[in-house]
Amino acid sequence: MIELQHISKWYNVGGKPVFILKDINLKVKEGEFISIMGPSGSGKSTLLNIVGMLDMPNEGAYHFFGESVYNLKDKHRNELYKKNIGFIFQAYHLIDELTVYENIETPLLYQNVKSSERKAIVADMLDKFNIVGKKDLFPSQLSGGQQQLVGIVRALIAKPKLLLADEPTGNLNTAQGEEIMQLFQQLNQEEGVTIIQVTHSEKNASYGNRIINLLDGRVEPSLQNASH
Amino acid sequence: MIRNYIKIAFRNILRKKVFSLINIIGLAVGMAACFLIFLYVKFELSYDSFHTKAPHIYRLVTDVKTPSETIHAGITAWPFAPNIKDDFPEVEFFTRVQQTSMLITKDDKKFQEDRVLWADSSFFKMFDFRLIKGDPDKVLKDLFTVVLSKTAAKKYFGDADPMGQSISLYDYYPAAITGVMEDIPENSQIKADIIVSMSSLTQTIIPGLDEQWSNFDAVSYLQLKPGVDPRALERKFPAFLERRNGKEMEKSQMFFTLYLEPLKFVYLFSKRESNIEKGNITNVYIFSVIAAFILLIAYINFINLTTARSVERAKEVGIRKVVGAEKNQLVKQFIGESLMLSLFAFVLALILTALLLPLFNQLAGKTISTGIFDNYNYLLLLFTLAIGAGLMAGIYPALVLSSFKPITVLKGRFATSSKGIVLRKGLVITQFAISIALIIGTIVVYKQMTFMRSHDLGFAKDQMLVLDTQGDAAKDALTQEISKLPGIKGTTLSSSVPGGSHSTAYSEIENSNGDLQVANLDLFFVDFDYIPQYQIQLVAGRPFSREFGMDTTEAMVINEAAVKYFGYPSAHKAIGKKFKQWGREGKIIGVVKDFHFKSLQEQIEPLSMRIEPSRSYLISVQVAAGNLPASIAAIESKWKTLISNRPFSYYFLNEFFDRQYRSEERFGKLFLNFAILAILISCLGLLGLASYSTIQRTKEIGIRKVMGASINNIIGLLSKDFLLLILIAFFIAAPLAWYFMNQWLQDFAYRINIAWWVFVVAGLLALLTALITISFQAIKAALMNPVKSLRTE
Repeated sequence: MIELQHISKWYNVGGKPVFILKDINLKVKEGEFISIMGPSGSGKSTLLNIVGMLDMPNEGAYHFFGESVYNLKDKHRNELYKKNIGFIFQAYHLIDELTVYENIETPLLYQNVKSSERKAIVADMLDKFNIVGKKDLFPSQLSGGQQQLVGIVRALIAKPKLLLADEPTGNLNTAQGEEIMQLFQQLNQEEGVTIIQVTHSEKNASYGNRIINLLDGRVEPSLQNASH
Repeated sequence: MIRNYIKIAFRNILRKKVFSLINIIGLAVGMAACFLIFLYVKFELSYDSFHTKAPHIYRLVTDVKTPSETIHAGITAWPFAPNIKDDFPEVEFFTRVQQTSMLITKDDKKFQEDRVLWADSSFFKMFDFRLIKGDPDKVLKDLFTVVLSKTAAKKYFGDADPMGQSISLYDYYPAAITGVMEDIPENSQIKADIIVSMSSLTQTIIPGLDEQWSNFDAVSYLQLKPGVDPRALERKFPAFLERRNGKEMEKSQMFFTLYLEPLKFVYLFSKRESNIEKGNITNVYIFSVIAAFILLIAYINFINLTTARSVERAKEVGIRKVVGAEKNQLVKQFIGESLMLSLFAFVLALILTALLLPLFNQLAGKTISTGIFDNYNYLLLLFTLAIGAGLMAGIYPALVLSSFKPITVLKGRFATSSKGIVLRKGLVITQFAISIALIIGTIVVYKQMTFMRSHDLGFAKDQMLVLDTQGDAAKDALTQEISKLPGIKGTTLSSSVPGGSHSTAYSEIENSNGDLQVANLDLFFVDFDYIPQYQIQLVAGRPFSREFGMDTTEAMVINEAAVKYFGYPSAHKAIGKKFKQWGREGKIIGVVKDFHFKSLQEQIEPLSMRIEPSRSYLISVQVAAGNLPASIAAIESKWKTLISNRPFSYYFLNEFFDRQYRSEERFGKLFLNFAILAILISCLGLLGLASYSTIQRTKEIGIRKVMGASINNIIGLLSKDFLLLILIAFFIAAPLAWYFMNQWLQDFAYRINIAWWVFVVAGLLALLTALITISFQAIKAALMNPVKSLRTE
């Protein structure tokens, strides 16, 4: 599904390149649940953003379902992204001015789904995740766990094949975090959604079936081998 | 999708109430000001355009060349137009008009009417003044026939049918009503309520007027046949004049050249003097520019405030991009929002315009429009203007917002490009440059007004009452009686008072070479008491005196300007020189110091004064300070006993003289209002930019506070940059304002110099308002808890 080859990203500081990612090679198969771990500044989020097509490396190639992402036109890449990828953030990043219902609906708007169809899809998802009662509330009226749940529903609304999560439980307490993780596991196992999450927590990482350890922009070889 | 945008736009407007209010109100006020000026400009441009034959109608005007000067007159001698019609088949119709004031009576109703017009019989065939009753071919054909406006008909006849009835002109000539017309619209140069057939004047009241080739008093219009080239016709006029009037021109040494001015050109563009209402194209230009500026300032605001808010909107943009929005979708969203704001502003602006229109009419001194909803085309035009401008103002913020990089903004750190900041600073400089220029303009206009009001005019204008007897036979008796009243210091009869109308006479005066020099001299007819009562200073010779019997016929007093004009090195040299004027001959007996008998817009021209009781209709009464109402009441009762058939009316000379500056005063008031408006809107914009930059520098402020910076340090830090902008704006505005106001002052022969402090005051005023505006934000930022502001990172 995903194939990264020789991905490198760096900044120039005082004429010298400082590497954030250095020669990353990564293959992800459909249906995997991967956790990216590593200390602060090891490049986890950058890697996730590159996989999510929100960021570009300075070097390397990226194939998504066999298509060479960096050779695509912006429009096509955006299309590929919209159809296949859902994003979840540590800080939830809901639009404050919109209700729960409207936040969830937004991705469908950008995919030009018809109004009647949108209504059906959103209603279905609200039902499924048990938040029908919250649909007219604004994000500020929800707890952190509830907001993240809305964030997840929004990420899933367009039925993406790949779910990317950047420390999704980082702002939540343990109980809320655990609920989210169980939800991830369920999505992965029952619906076959491929998940890549960035996390600091060993416990959260254990919900997945593969761990990638990053250190100073490189994949730690020993652990990578161990997981294979 | 669109519903989603509208929803979000609405919620944004509601969520940020103060901000939205500032934004919408700023825009609406700017638009309203622009609309008002637009209505004014439209109105000025619409003069006389309602005449369907306007393209074929021309005003006949004359250049009069005497040996010493050329006069560009907007009027003609009486015989010109009728004879041109006789001689040239190219001419379809001609109409001469002359505005006048006369006493009109109908039974017990008695009015001194100012809006009376003499007009030739083709008047209603050429012009589109609509007759409600009467036949345009016949109404003004016969002697003493009259057409009344609807208003005048109501005034004299109430609801009764005026047709065939009669009124009395000058309380003497009976005249028959042959027609009733719609009231003449405001945007007509010719204004009248009562139109009397011209033949009554030229054949009966002043017989022979039609043969007086050098008596200039008629405004003449010609309607040419379709396809006639006016320039070609103009080229035939010299031969015509030569044929008809050549000998007389040679004899009097006054040569005429005739020109044709298109009717629609006359009101705004013609510089020629005639007695009909005149517009001023410069004012139209100035106000158009001001309108454009104010709209510009308002839109700059809009841009600045909207971009300032981009910090807050950045997160939304990031999220939308992450969930799949494309750039053009976001651009559409933000332009949509700005359109919606400008739509709100448009509605508010319409309401404001409608509310302010009566006030503006008052300021402008005429009814430019009775309501904005009179004309749907205007509304449509204004709507297009609003939407177009809203689009323009929305594009920049939309592009800025939509180009944010999603991950950067979602991480909370984002720096806007320095280019954007430069642009916004440039916009603020523009706003303030305009504001400062307008402030300077206002001060200059007001200084000039005060100067004109307080300038020593060279005669006594205070406590001076003027009564117009209209030539009533009892005028001398009345003057005598008034002078005997208590509280009256003096009375004098004259043809003219300073600031009013006076004759210009063909004169021959002996110059320093001993020749009789021909000149068109301004002429005041006075009596013995005029010069002393007006405290006009004598420089040489003696004033008119009862002791010299011949003073009533053979004496002339001139002013210093005339002395210079005829080449005398000093006033004394002119005493005893010969003059010939309007059938009188005699000697110059005295020279008076120049006094301003015209407004300060004009140079003091050579003036001659003679005694001529038969032409002196105006009584100037010098009243003692003190019980003015009692004096006026006493004068009125004398008037009522002696001139019972005329309504009593009077005016104060100082007010009468100052009325010449009424249009300047109006100009000044409008200028002031728009300057205040401009600076207000500019401050709104500055507020926006200040809040923006404060948010940008939250972290810096936090760090500085942790390092020990005081509140004053922070306020200084935040204000410094903006004050620099004002300073730059000042240096742009000052020379431009200086240049344009100097141009404006050129219209005044007597004018102020623009003092350096005007600029300083204007600059400080702008600086002060800006400082107050900025300090709101700066103090808020400075008081912020550093722990909080640093946590935003």
